[in-house]
Amino acid sequence: MGMAALGLADLQAAKPHFAPKAKRVIHFFLNGGPSHVDTFDPKPALKLYEGKPVPSHRITERKTGAAFPSPFKFQRYGQSGIEVSELFAKTAAHIDDIAVIRSMQAQVPNHEPSLMLMNCGDSIQARPSMGAWLTYGLGSANENLPGFIAMCPGGMPIKSAENWQSAFLPGAFQGTYVDSKHEAVDRLIENIRSPHADSRVQLRQLELLRHINESHRQQRSDPRLEARIQSFELAFRMQIEAADAFDVSKEPQHIRELYGEGVHARQTLIARRLLERGVRMVQLWHGAGQPWDNHDNIETNHRKLAAQIDQPIAALLHDLKQRGMLEDTLVIWGGEFGRTPTVELSGGKSKLGRDHNHYGFSVWMAGGGIKGGTVYGSTDEFGFAAQDNPTSVHDLHATILHLMGINHEELTYRYAGRDFRLTDVYGEVITPILA
Amino acid sequence: MFHRLLQLGTLIVSTSLLSAEHWAFQPLKPVKGTSIDEFIQKKLAENGLKPSPPADARTLARRASFDLMGLPPERTDVPYEQFVDQLLASPHYGEQWARHWLDVARYSDTKGYVYAREEKSWVHATPYRDWVVRALNEDMPYDRFLLLQIAADQVVPPKSPDLVAMGFLTLGRRFLGVTHDIIDDRIDVVTRGTLGLTVACARCHDHKFDPIPTRDYYALYGVFQSSAEALVPATAAENAELTALVKKNRDLITKRREEQMARTRTRSADYSKAVTELEKYPEQGFDQIIDEKDLNPFIVHRWKAWLEKHPGVELADEALKSLDSPAHVPDEHIANIEMFFPTGIITELWKSQGDVDRFLIKNNTTPAHATILVDRPLPSTPRVFTRGNPLTKGDEVPRQFLSTFGSQQPFKIGSGRLELAQAIIDPRNPLTARVMVNRIWQHHFGRGLVSTLSDFGKQGSPPSHPELLDWLAQRFIDSGWSVKTMHRHIMLSQTYQQSSQTSDPRDPDNRLLSRMNPHRLSFEEARDAWLAAAGRLNLRMGGRPDALFASSNTRRTLYALVDRENVPTAMRTFDFANPDLSIPQRTETTVPQQALFGLNHPFVVQQAKALVQKAAASKSDEARIRLIYAKLFQRSPTHDELAFAQRFVQADTTVVIAEADHTKSWQYGYGEWDEGTGRVKNFKPLPHFTGSAWQGDEAWPNEKLGWAQLTAEGGHPGNDRKHAVVRRWIAPAGGTYDLHSTLIHEPEVGDGIRAFVSHSRLGKLRSTTLLGSKADLNLDAIAFQTGDTFDFIVDIGNGLNSDQFLWPPKITPSVTAITGAGGDSPSDAWDARQDFSAQPKSQLNAWEQLVQVLMLSNEFMFVD
Repeated sequence: MGMAALGLADLQAAKPHFAPKAKRVIHFFLNGGPSHVDTFDPKPALKLYEGKPVPSHRITERKTGAAFPSPFKFQRYGQSGIEVSELFAKTAAHIDDIAVIRSMQAQVPNHEPSLMLMNCGDSIQARPSMGAWLTYGLGSANENLPGFIAMCPGGMPIKSAENWQSAFLPGAFQGTYVDSKHEAVDRLIENIRSPHADSRVQLRQLELLRHINESHRQQRSDPRLEARIQSFELAFRMQIEAADAFDVSKEPQHIRELYGEGVHARQTLIARRLLERGVRMVQLWHGAGQPWDNHDNIETNHRKLAAQIDQPIAALLHDLKQRGMLEDTLVIWGGEFGRTPTVELSGGKSKLGRDHNHYGFSVWMAGGGIKGGTVYGSTDEFGFAAQDNPTSVHDLHATILHLMGINHEELTYRYAGRDFRLTDVYGEVITPILA
Repeated sequence: MFHRLLQLGTLIVSTSLLSAEHWAFQPLKPVKGTSIDEFIQKKLAENGLKPSPPADARTLARRASFDLMGLPPERTDVPYEQFVDQLLASPHYGEQWARHWLDVARYSDTKGYVYAREEKSWVHATPYRDWVVRALNEDMPYDRFLLLQIAADQVVPPKSPDLVAMGFLTLGRRFLGVTHDIIDDRIDVVTRGTLGLTVACARCHDHKFDPIPTRDYYALYGVFQSSAEALVPATAAENAELTALVKKNRDLITKRREEQMARTRTRSADYSKAVTELEKYPEQGFDQIIDEKDLNPFIVHRWKAWLEKHPGVELADEALKSLDSPAHVPDEHIANIEMFFPTGIITELWKSQGDVDRFLIKNNTTPAHATILVDRPLPSTPRVFTRGNPLTKGDEVPRQFLSTFGSQQPFKIGSGRLELAQAIIDPRNPLTARVMVNRIWQHHFGRGLVSTLSDFGKQGSPPSHPELLDWLAQRFIDSGWSVKTMHRHIMLSQTYQQSSQTSDPRDPDNRLLSRMNPHRLSFEEARDAWLAAAGRLNLRMGGRPDALFASSNTRRTLYALVDRENVPTAMRTFDFANPDLSIPQRTETTVPQQALFGLNHPFVVQQAKALVQKAAASKSDEARIRLIYAKLFQRSPTHDELAFAQRFVQADTTVVIAEADHTKSWQYGYGEWDEGTGRVKNFKPLPHFTGSAWQGDEAWPNEKLGWAQLTAEGGHPGNDRKHAVVRRWIAPAGGTYDLHSTLIHEPEVGDGIRAFVSHSRLGKLRSTTLLGSKADLNLDAIAFQTGDTFDFIVDIGNGLNSDQFLWPPKITPSVTAITGAGGDSPSDAWDARQDFSAQPKSQLNAWEQLVQVLMLSNEFMFVD
């Protein structure tokens, strides 16, 4: 790379390989692992086997026992009649825009590797996250805002910033972390507001800086000098634009009511404002640590968690649609894995919860290029493992890149003597869910 | 992708053929020449180009000083050659060049993500970093520098300070303890770092481009598989407390090992049966929580491997007690053997190890320790993992050096690590010297003669000046691998001393070096230079790292904490080397987030203010400006610059923003709740403002005041009852006021918080204790005289655990008390949240504005 002056635009790989169906991505990350058999993958057989071992039992991180039927009611929604549990009743009203993949698989039943796999395409090695690849591949549609933003209220998920790392890609492509618990914009993005100069003073300083830099540049020919001069002007605009993008009070009352109360409503609405302004990818994490990791008392805990995001997700789908943005915005919902259909045991006793399950789980997508009202793949009768059309995380990534106009085999970066890609040597586009 | 091509099987050309063809694998060519300039100028002339005129003395001084020390020069009038020698003799030389090597060594002070049971900081990171600094300062011959980093355990006596060199191998990520990945990381750092070969590519398949078959990868794999991690003293000094902790830890591990071996032996029938149902026992990387009654999956796999190796032999009695038995738990550091134990015992053993580790980390005075590799008593013969998968084992391979380097001889001594190191530093190995002189060249000229610094394979770029590279490499070896001699040699060349201020369209990228390349300061260089200009740089060398932006941290950036799991955003934004990967050269980006840091982060402004203060003693504006230019740029301002700066500071129209009165009504402090008086004892203001929180220091928590913090919306009490946090409101005028507030303690863990509302004259008005709940704390019509205070106090319950809270009170004059027109005007509300975000509004004055701008200027950031 040597002496080149690298602005973001210079760094990015290329234009899309073909016409994209989606221009931006929003990813609801239910960290900890939402239970598929309690949300988007109904398993009535669990009721029949209640208290008995299931034939498809597998080993997971902890010991689990007998079949544990879902405590939640499922019902059919929409034209497609896809069954969804009461936990996501509001989201389910949009089921005809959604394609549910019920046959996802990860590699091991542990959070850390599975988070890395879902976000970065490799369970173990430090690899760039999907958002970093997307901003590398496509750039940002708005230079005044970061291209990839990860919001998580109240602190970081497990594995912290590694979930949105740029690894060997330049640092500029890493996700910008926002603690959406805060309301004041200067607490949301680092260094976005000056604690020691108002904008009038700052303009005076920037004028002086330009003057000094211009006369310095006169005797020199290095293109990096001009790039750096411009970066200060971009920065000044970023301050204004970011403050605006994060200010949900600018939304009309009826829109704020649509999303509802609470931090998840706010971060979802902020996300929509960011997407509208050209941010390439927004990831919305549920919270610090691993909130969806309900080893015990899943009925109470999953109900509480789902209630926090069901309305905001439904509102976002509705809102994107009414703005004509759903057709080119890809909405993704899922965690790093699902949960066992069998009950977790502690000292042989039921904890009324479920262990991690990487053998089979659900992820859904909606919007840009997705064939709504679709179910793809299945798990076995009890929901323990993928059965029809097992789908790897690499397949999911290949599909997401495809929808964004990228051939996943061609988006590469040379590092340590190899051309790396998000999907390593794997991944096939899941064509049956494409519109 | 080459993974697929491999399946064709026919693309792998004979390695010897490839070796002969590719320039980098050929021996160093004997090249005649007398100077660097001869080679450079010959090539320039061939292309019709000429070198640029020499740079002026000040430029050269800055260039040399930043190159060698990473700091601006204090003087620019020393004759150049003498100045270079002074710089090479400076202890700060080692700090600057250590950082370059630490990029290659993927240095981090922490292990990356580990389970909570394990101490996350490395015990030996600091000693390793300081060893690199020292080795470079002493101009340790580069061959020895490498030898010690790969095999010090076999070439220096026990307790030698040189043992810490092996941090090079052992400072990588922990990969949650998965052996294959730890070894892969070590193979990568050794082969790319020292040889410029991307051997890790051959983990899954023969290298597509270079003559590195998978067998070579596993030959090295065997070397590291036969080496175990050990924590050992690197000094003869002793410490009684430490000795006791170490003994306690050893006794525990010995006891647990023996119990585990006994446990396994009593269940040998079950293990023998388990090997027939392997699907129930996952490989490493699939973590299961198991207890003492469970069969251990790791032991099941060892059992199977043993049976395969000893066909027809029964695994019983004597065999079970042998050293190579699958029941045997080696006497090694917990890092190597945790897989043998049930989950509860792993936790116990890591905690015990953690007591030793934390003692070593927290005590600067403890005897230095090193995490080294030692050869295992029974080296293992590696088997190729077909397509990188440990489940599909292929042929056995002897432990040996890479086939590229000619006829392979299996290593004979222990793991073979010493022989590996010797093969790397063998003067007949053409890569090691070429790779290192190229790294040195790159840091002086901005680009290597070979621009792919850690890839000298066929996919790397060919050298721009192949003869010069070989000539330099030979000189390097002949000089006794002296890095300092190489610096001197390069820096005394005319090529290095050229001006950078010319350009020639015939060589726009300057591959042929018809001019010098300007150097943009790295993050470390910029931060150090800001501190130096402000006169605040603390040059104390070595020792434990400090949080980057701790207000007390004015040390060189080399000593800032590198936590690979959480690299500060500012460092990532400025292209700091990713500490997970061996980085031969940093990317160099220009993005607005860097400008935002410069404009808005308190750090640069602090340095600007300090420099303004230093200049304040000067008598005239002109003298001040001259001093500022000298400190920042080591030159005088031009006539125009002087006039312009004078106009800037004199035309200061900065209106001091009328601070919202309400912000003055709040104070943020800490103290101790005194139930007897109903008031706070020892109220002191929280000393540090981050821009969004008041607390003890920039890091949070911090050594000064622990977790104590107040933000717009709430905060966190300090670590004990003596450190309650206190949000204080000061009545601006007499009258009666109402309080509206809700206190929320969200976490349902720990034992909650205590909260009090206290009035300076009336004492305690409200109190509550909360755990995972909230309370409305409202008061009506409380009388105040001007200056009376209203304290909102929170301290911990019985213990420190999840004590963060939300409590933004609002205070309004009681409606009935309002005199004059208006009713309940909202502007008469003191809203803790709103008033807080307006903090602080001390606008920069014109001098500070000027100096901040100069600190952010291109002239400051680029060295000509």
